[in-house]
Amino acid sequence: MSGNAFVTMKNIGKRWNGQLGVEGITLDIEEGEFVALLGPSGCGKSTTLRLLAGLEVPDEGQIIIDGIDVTGASAAQRNLSMVFQSYALFPHLSVAENVMFGMKVRRVPKKERLAKMHNALDMTGLHGLEDRKPSALSGGQRQRVALARAIVAGRKLCLMDEPLSNLDAKLRAAVRKDIKKLQKDLGMTIVYVTHDQTEAMSMADKVVLMKDGLIEQTGTPEQLYSEPLNTFVAEFVGAPPMALIKGTALQGYADDQTIGIRAEKMRLAPEGGRMACTVTDCEFLGAETFIGLAHESANGLTIKLDGKAHMEIGSKVEITFEDKDLHVFGPTGKRMNNIT
Amino acid sequence: MSRFTKSFDTIGAVLLAIIWIAPLLFAVWAAVHSTSDAVNFRLTSPWTMSNFQAAWDGAPWGKYFLNTFLLVTVVLIGQFIVTTLAGYAFAQVQFPGKDIAFLLVLLQLFILPEVLIVENYAMVSRLGLFDSILGVGMPYMASAFGIFLMRQAFKSVPIELDEAARIEGCSRLGILLKVYVPLAKPTYLAYALVSVSTHWNNFLWPLIVTNSPETRPITVGLSIFGAPENGVDISIISAATLMSVAPLLVAFLIFQRQFVQAFLRSGIK
Repeated sequence: MSGNAFVTMKNIGKRWNGQLGVEGITLDIEEGEFVALLGPSGCGKSTTLRLLAGLEVPDEGQIIIDGIDVTGASAAQRNLSMVFQSYALFPHLSVAENVMFGMKVRRVPKKERLAKMHNALDMTGLHGLEDRKPSALSGGQRQRVALARAIVAGRKLCLMDEPLSNLDAKLRAAVRKDIKKLQKDLGMTIVYVTHDQTEAMSMADKVVLMKDGLIEQTGTPEQLYSEPLNTFVAEFVGAPPMALIKGTALQGYADDQTIGIRAEKMRLAPEGGRMACTVTDCEFLGAETFIGLAHESANGLTIKLDGKAHMEIGSKVEITFEDKDLHVFGPTGKRMNNIT
Repeated sequence: MSRFTKSFDTIGAVLLAIIWIAPLLFAVWAAVHSTSDAVNFRLTSPWTMSNFQAAWDGAPWGKYFLNTFLLVTVVLIGQFIVTTLAGYAFAQVQFPGKDIAFLLVLLQLFILPEVLIVENYAMVSRLGLFDSILGVGMPYMASAFGIFLMRQAFKSVPIELDEAARIEGCSRLGILLKVYVPLAKPTYLAYALVSVSTHWNNFLWPLIVTNSPETRPITVGLSIFGAPENGVDISIISAATLMSVAPLLVAFLIFQRQFVQAFLRSGIK
């Protein structure tokens, strides 16, 4: 934990009427970094973002942004912009007025205001829609207006609360690229809340995986994927998630251990494999096919095969894998070995 | 069966409409005929405009209209200010005793304004506002109905809009004026309609609290035509009544569509 990070959250806690919100959130964010807060719904990731935004006040801990302690400061004093899940566009204002709202409040001269607004609309590809009301825009366009409003503020820190969850899958992929590009071009620091691990893994420099108000693991997408600190991380990250096998099913491991393995590390064995399983489903994705397997002491066993592969559902197969590809978790679910 | 109910509905609606509009139609009929022709319903009798002339000459109409106009304007402005601030406080501000305070405001809805006339009279006198337009309007400014309406309207504004404005650096008053008020526009319009027509037609309280033609609104001024000592002339009263409600009628006919939409959108019917 270096002391000179751009954003620092130190041991932040927030409870509602004794119920847990978030607890012991400690996080360092470097300038220009793309950080994703990832987790299932109700894990406290949105709360963490709102605490950072100043929309909630923490019960304990300290928040420092750009060298200034802003723990008790109002949202306006924190010098950040935010994109909401519902976009939070003002329905009575046109696109242009929505984008310029903040500048008007801060009394930016009109000429500068217009120039910045047009610049932001160019960047987000909204040219020609200046006079439309939000109700006359499609979901994707609204989303981009919300982005333009965040860009135009010129703040170094931008918070995004599930900005893509209201878009369809194809649009989501496109906007994901746009956001990533904008962040690179403008050198913004982005804190991004999502429940979609694909989104977090593909966009973020650093992923913070949360569960029940606690941080489970912080690291690069690669670290989370290849070195999950516990079984929760192992099962949450990756598509398909890591398969977990009870220690009893494999030789050389203690009974109370859990063994994890990724789909791409498993192979079909013609005979003498390490586990005998039943095929439960067959998912063809074009470049590869995922075969779902059932075994009485394993969870989420999936094997990845290249190209189109067909296997009869209910047929028996044997699989094998190398010891070096195995992740070993202790009785409490904590990681025990290091993969080299 | 359904055809029967349908035609029954239609007949009922037409009947109701006729009952509703009958007084107005009679006033129009009486206003353009001489008194004896009017009350005897002589359908072929000649039309006359002399009743309007007589009514117009009988009172300082220009002054009365101006007074009424000023009165409804003052009341409406006062109500907008008070109900906006109070409605916002009850909708979005956390303060101790909020629920009890709101309950007290709602209790006010159960009290007829007429019950408070003596107390209001004493209060207006103490404030030195007796026989002034502000004095007539004052007791109605903190309208419980208006506060309730605004609270509901502000509560329906998504909290994200408030938060987005806060992050942009908007002050609390700025958020109220730039976010909440514009979004509650249909409610304001519907409320303005109710308020203006109520206070345009209000009679008892202005009668008590005004003393001179300088401050009297039109309803009070009109009463001289009905005073027994002048003899009751139904034609002239009708003409005078039509004249006094004419601005409201015209305004309603012009803005009918907007009003109906405003009521639909603000959710009060």
